[in-house]
Amino acid sequence: MWFPRLASDRVLRARPTEAPFALTLRLSNVERIYCLNARAARLGLHRGMPCADARAFCPDLLSHPADPQADARFLATLRRWATRYCPWVGLEEPAGLVLDVTGSAHLWGGETEMLADMRARLARAGLSLRLGLADTRGAAWALAHHAEGIAAPGDLLTPLGPLPVAALRLDDESCIALQRMGLRRVADLAAAPRAPLARRFGPGVLLRLDQALGDQPEQITPLADPPHFAVRLTLPEPIGLAADVMAGTARLLDQLCAKLKAQEAGARVLCLTLRRVDQGSGQVELRLAGAMRDPARILPLFERGVAAADAGFGIDQMRLEAVRVEALPVQQIGHRGPAQRNGLDDLITRIGTRIGLQNVRRFLPADSHIPERGFLVAPAAYSAPEGPWVCPRPRPLRLFAPEPIVASGPQPPEQFRWRRMRLHTARATGPERIAPEWWLQDENWGAGLRDYWQIETRQGRRLWLFHTPQNPGWFVQGEFA
Amino acid sequence: MTTPPVAPPPVAPGPPAYAELCVTTNFSFLAGASHPEELVSRAAELRLGAIAITDRNSLAGVVRAYAALQELRRAAPEPGGNGTLPGTPRLPRLIVGCRLVLRDSPVDWLALPCDRAAYQRLSRLLTLGKRRAEKGECHLDLRDLLDGCAGTILIALPQHPATAAPHIRQLRQRFPGYVFLGAAPRYDGSDQAHLAACARLAQTTCAPMVAVGDVLMHRAGRRQLADVLTCMREHITIDQIGTRALPNAERRLKGAEDMARLFRRYPAAIRRTLEIAARCSFCLSELSYEYPDEITDTEAPQMRLERLCHAGLARRCPDGIPERYHALARKELALVGELGFAAYFLTVHDIVQYARSVGILCQGRGSAANSILCWALGITDVSPDQISMVFERFLSKYRGEPPDIDVDFEHERREEVIQHIYEKYGRHRAGLCATVIHFRTRAAIREVGKVMGLSQDVTASLSAQIWGHSGAGADPDRIRELGLDPADRRLAQTIRLIGELIGFPRHLSQHVGGFVITRGRLDELCPIANAAMADRTVIEWDKDDIDTLGILKVDILGLGMLSCIRKAFDLMAQHEGQQPTLASIPQEDRATYDMLCIADAVGVFQVESRAQMNFLPRMRPRTFYDLVIEVAIVRPGPIQGGMVQPYVKRRQGREAVSFPSQALQQVLGKTLGVPLFQEQAMQIAVVAAGFTAEEADRLRRSLSTFRRMGTISRFRDQFIAGMLGNGYTPEFASRCFSQIEGFADYGFPESHAAAFAMLTYVSSWLKCHHPAIFACALLNSQPMGFYAPAQIVRDAREHGVEVRPVCVNHSTWDNSLERRADGALALQLGFRQIKGFRQDDAARIVAARGNGYRDPESLWLRAGLAPAALERLAEADAFSDTGLTRRAALWQVRAIRAPAPLPLFADPLDGESIAEPAVTLPAMHLGEEVVEDYVAMRLSLRAHPMELLRPSVGGLTPHAELANTAARRCTVCGLVITRQRPGTASGVIFLTLEDETGVCNVVVWPKVYAQFRRAVMGGRLLRVTGYLQREGIVVHLIAQQIEDISHRLTDLGHPLEEAVGVTRPQADDAPRPPRHAPRAQHPREQAKRLFPSRDFH
Repeated sequence: MWFPRLASDRVLRARPTEAPFALTLRLSNVERIYCLNARAARLGLHRGMPCADARAFCPDLLSHPADPQADARFLATLRRWATRYCPWVGLEEPAGLVLDVTGSAHLWGGETEMLADMRARLARAGLSLRLGLADTRGAAWALAHHAEGIAAPGDLLTPLGPLPVAALRLDDESCIALQRMGLRRVADLAAAPRAPLARRFGPGVLLRLDQALGDQPEQITPLADPPHFAVRLTLPEPIGLAADVMAGTARLLDQLCAKLKAQEAGARVLCLTLRRVDQGSGQVELRLAGAMRDPARILPLFERGVAAADAGFGIDQMRLEAVRVEALPVQQIGHRGPAQRNGLDDLITRIGTRIGLQNVRRFLPADSHIPERGFLVAPAAYSAPEGPWVCPRPRPLRLFAPEPIVASGPQPPEQFRWRRMRLHTARATGPERIAPEWWLQDENWGAGLRDYWQIETRQGRRLWLFHTPQNPGWFVQGEFA
Repeated sequence: MTTPPVAPPPVAPGPPAYAELCVTTNFSFLAGASHPEELVSRAAELRLGAIAITDRNSLAGVVRAYAALQELRRAAPEPGGNGTLPGTPRLPRLIVGCRLVLRDSPVDWLALPCDRAAYQRLSRLLTLGKRRAEKGECHLDLRDLLDGCAGTILIALPQHPATAAPHIRQLRQRFPGYVFLGAAPRYDGSDQAHLAACARLAQTTCAPMVAVGDVLMHRAGRRQLADVLTCMREHITIDQIGTRALPNAERRLKGAEDMARLFRRYPAAIRRTLEIAARCSFCLSELSYEYPDEITDTEAPQMRLERLCHAGLARRCPDGIPERYHALARKELALVGELGFAAYFLTVHDIVQYARSVGILCQGRGSAANSILCWALGITDVSPDQISMVFERFLSKYRGEPPDIDVDFEHERREEVIQHIYEKYGRHRAGLCATVIHFRTRAAIREVGKVMGLSQDVTASLSAQIWGHSGAGADPDRIRELGLDPADRRLAQTIRLIGELIGFPRHLSQHVGGFVITRGRLDELCPIANAAMADRTVIEWDKDDIDTLGILKVDILGLGMLSCIRKAFDLMAQHEGQQPTLASIPQEDRATYDMLCIADAVGVFQVESRAQMNFLPRMRPRTFYDLVIEVAIVRPGPIQGGMVQPYVKRRQGREAVSFPSQALQQVLGKTLGVPLFQEQAMQIAVVAAGFTAEEADRLRRSLSTFRRMGTISRFRDQFIAGMLGNGYTPEFASRCFSQIEGFADYGFPESHAAAFAMLTYVSSWLKCHHPAIFACALLNSQPMGFYAPAQIVRDAREHGVEVRPVCVNHSTWDNSLERRADGALALQLGFRQIKGFRQDDAARIVAARGNGYRDPESLWLRAGLAPAALERLAEADAFSDTGLTRRAALWQVRAIRAPAPLPLFADPLDGESIAEPAVTLPAMHLGEEVVEDYVAMRLSLRAHPMELLRPSVGGLTPHAELANTAARRCTVCGLVITRQRPGTASGVIFLTLEDETGVCNVVVWPKVYAQFRRAVMGGRLLRVTGYLQREGIVVHLIAQQIEDISHRLTDLGHPLEEAVGVTRPQADDAPRPPRHAPRAQHPREQAKRLFPSRDFH
């Protein structure tokens, strides 16, 4: 199975277009076409062409940066899907799959029907596809890339003979060299004496020839399935007490955590399914603030959920699954272990089980001169604390939306009323002039630049005032501790 | 060391005054956000007392500021008006300085030299730092500062105040009275505390505090551009800039009131700026340039020049010097003596003499050909008989500009001349000019687009569609056409920023060949830096700067045609026993002009381009002066001015020659009443529009150098008004002005055209009388000129020259000539025609040749060639002499894998070598051979690809028959040799196709181009259908239908694949990592490599 336009088909599945389309990749400082749709190819574009040339050829070309990693993931998905045809499916990088259909073709009514089914399904998915079926992996590759079709079992030289030598999976250099010699077809190569060939082109050429013709074996290596993190406990008698459920959960958790440990993974989301005797079921979901696999730490976190679960007439089956898993490598235990971090994670989880994990937040520094954008608020469970806050300018502890006060002139007022208080200025430091970030449109900063002053009032409050010279006015925006 | 002046200058009462001492211009690349000109103009508006230009470790921007100030002074009305106090300086003084950023100090130092000696020390200090570092860097340490900054005022700008004190103290002890502490307001809320800290630091270090603005831009509006420049420096987009952005626009140039308010507690800091400004009395005009004196040999330069001039005239005119020449020479010598340029002429003479002595051909170009002095000294070869020499064009008392002598040398040997100059005068006295590389439209769009986060599609279409050729700015309608919203904030900002960035200097590069040579140390004149090229050193100023300061330079330029002519002369000496020189070629040769009249000009200097070849039959040159016009007329200047058609009509006698006025007859007489040369345009301004000579010169300068100052429109009005006043029609007046505009950049002066026409004549004489020698020399000088080797070889064969293929037993590296039995010369192709073959391999083949080679293996054993080189030879079919076909040779070469033979097998005995079964390889047919020839050598002697394809592509008219065919519509097919889209032809594309019978000129109108875009741009083999247009013997095919049939070329080389119906095996292949040396490609790509063309894109 070969997907000649895998990368562009993948992107176009999400955003179909009729226009010429190409994916571009930056290679050694030149933006080149990485993959393109059929329309663009008809217009004369091709892979490896510099983007500038392509635009000159075709001004209305749509382009998009390529993402080879996503393509690889997509191919892996296709591989899993292809196991519907046979159990042995391997990757043929970068855009192909190799299937060992020995003994499974009859399930689809024969080889032709099986290929027709593949074509129909993948065409529906919007993927261009070329298929080749033969006795050997090499021959199937050659057919998929250069001819398409099914080679009759037995004599492989007949279908492969007229194909160009490039069909043998040779590198470009060998192909060109062979063509230069006039050895253009596989048949020419097969007929040539082997020793002089090997002397001139190395053993690789003959190996590929033999593999294609079945004189040398070549395996298909299917990929292993990813591990599955779920354990189950069936009870001989239904249970109903929370303590019993907790005991069962503890047993499940031990098993699950052992499994996680073997894979060096930790759970982020756990789901405990309690099946009742009446076939109904209740679920307890636990979201953790960090990846964990320590049963002793996880178990108490279940207490609240289990207590709230409805046991009905009794629970006869429990299933615990790690719904989301993250890598958690085994760590060296030192005297300054990550205990504190774990403690904070536990706290966040504990609070999160009550108010929702999303609602536990933390402040993060942000890089901006604008006070309102000088920090970020992020969910604590899904962000890591950043290093020390660097604040080149003093900023108030509390920042609120600007509150206008009555004052005039560019100098801070002697006295002013704010929040029904009459305040007298004792000391003023400033101004700190901040101009809006011109590349963003910010409604709050519509009045233009601001001159910030730190005001110490005789009443004891230390306020942060600003003046807008272009649109005169005074505002209070913060309060220092 | 001088002591500082004791008495401070009197404090001026009245409005506060201030001098800005810290200004970063955009010559601190990617940091400063304003041009020096803008800063100076703004400083004048703000009435600053002085402005110092202090770029980061550089003096590159100071001359611009100086020139701008002079321009302002010139433009300013007479003093006294405008209500200013008498005696108040109206314009700020310019202080030359720089900001020294050291490697080992947390303090930046503003260095402001007080006098010329201090300036020279500063320049040497910068040279030291720059010569130490790579291009664009400057490595200076505190130690260097302590050694080389006497007499310079140093203002410390502490970057980390806590650690600055010891450094400041150290320098203050070394230079008492010269060290100050700069305090810049920051507007960050802690200014008063900051200034107080500065004052404390000033007290503890005894370095008085002085106010500086740390200016980055001339107006607040440039803050956005400054942020964009920061992003470009840091390689980030604007959304990632964060706190690296400027928090506000306060680093703009400020007036005295603002600064006085900020420094209200420290009025002395403001006052001190003026004191420092007063102490820095150095002005760039003090830099007096002195000529090197090596060339005089104790003789006074003027005397020597006179002596050499007379000797030269005597040599030039063996039959006695005409009195006219004497008169001219006397006049020139007198003027040169008066202006004191004698030593300059001698310097150029000396360089030319050196080149002659080592056999390098050279010739002066440009206005130097207007001088009989240059002719007598052998700098130019255009004699006073050939053109009317107007010495004033070259050197004028009124212009106050130094003369400019440009000399062309053979391009392959120019480096020898350059290294000779370095050697003779030393690197401390000679250096190349810099060229300031500016942001052009395309680069500006790309860089700003990247920073503003526009997608590549948008940037690409912006640069292709919106700015186009004009560079004037974006048109909202065009933006809407692209599907973009011109009202979009981001886009509007981007477009404005692009407009601001265009014209910003980006970096300094080296001038093509402008040398500055001085008598004293050059590094005391200007800092010298290393160039990117090895063994080159470059000064920081470009050619305009040098002109401004009146420094002389000699342009050492490279010209491929001179290499070619010299090689042809060498070959003539070798094979014909003649010793020709440029001057000794027979003049006014009929056969040569006959050849040019039928546009048989492949390879001839200047007139080989397609436009010139079309023009030749219309022009029908018969004399040397016709060639001068020919060279000058097909240029953007005359074309833009619409001067070509009128001239042709008059020349062909279809229009009467008339002159708009009697006065203009003087100016335009030689060119039949049509202005064609640069100086004619200027003279029209003088004669017809009533400009003074000085005004005309300023007009020229305002068009080229000072475009930014925006004075063109004023001149235009004056020009038109002047011409109307003298009774010319408005239409003629505006045509003249548009031509002057065109000439500013793209016109030839008459003398320059004459110098080039000289080479045109010599090269066409060679081509006419010695075609084999000319072709051989031309091939040996590649790459140069307009045509690829394939066309040169074809042309040579059409002229009856036998061309022999590359052969291991006969060829050398260069192409060579062999005498045939019938006495004619045959061209033996050399190894240099083989792609990727190395010169030293060729030398080894020739050295070990002996009685010839038997087979590839003998080359490997005897000449020690690596297998890769052997393969190249086999691919080029160079073994045919040994009885091996190309394929058989390749088969044998492939068997050799080791880079060098092992001793045991070095001399195999019979029967001990490897016995191999015989292999029968399929024989190559002609098509394959031709393609392989092209692959290896880009040319084939066997057949033209079209010859082989013609039977299979029906309905074609061969190119040779186009001139005679009766059909109006026809179809041609051929390889694309050139594609051109001249800027002057409003989008029309010219294609030149080649088939086995000749070439064909195809004209593609924009509409047709839009329809067949891909074929026109990408095709190598095109089939074009259209109708014929005849003009004299020139035939054009106006394209109506264009078809790219490049894939047919693969029919030649890969017939088997075609037979089994497998096409384009690689085209659909899955994406793969980049291949080294990708060779198997799409047929069209392959065609592109095999049959390359010269393209405009």
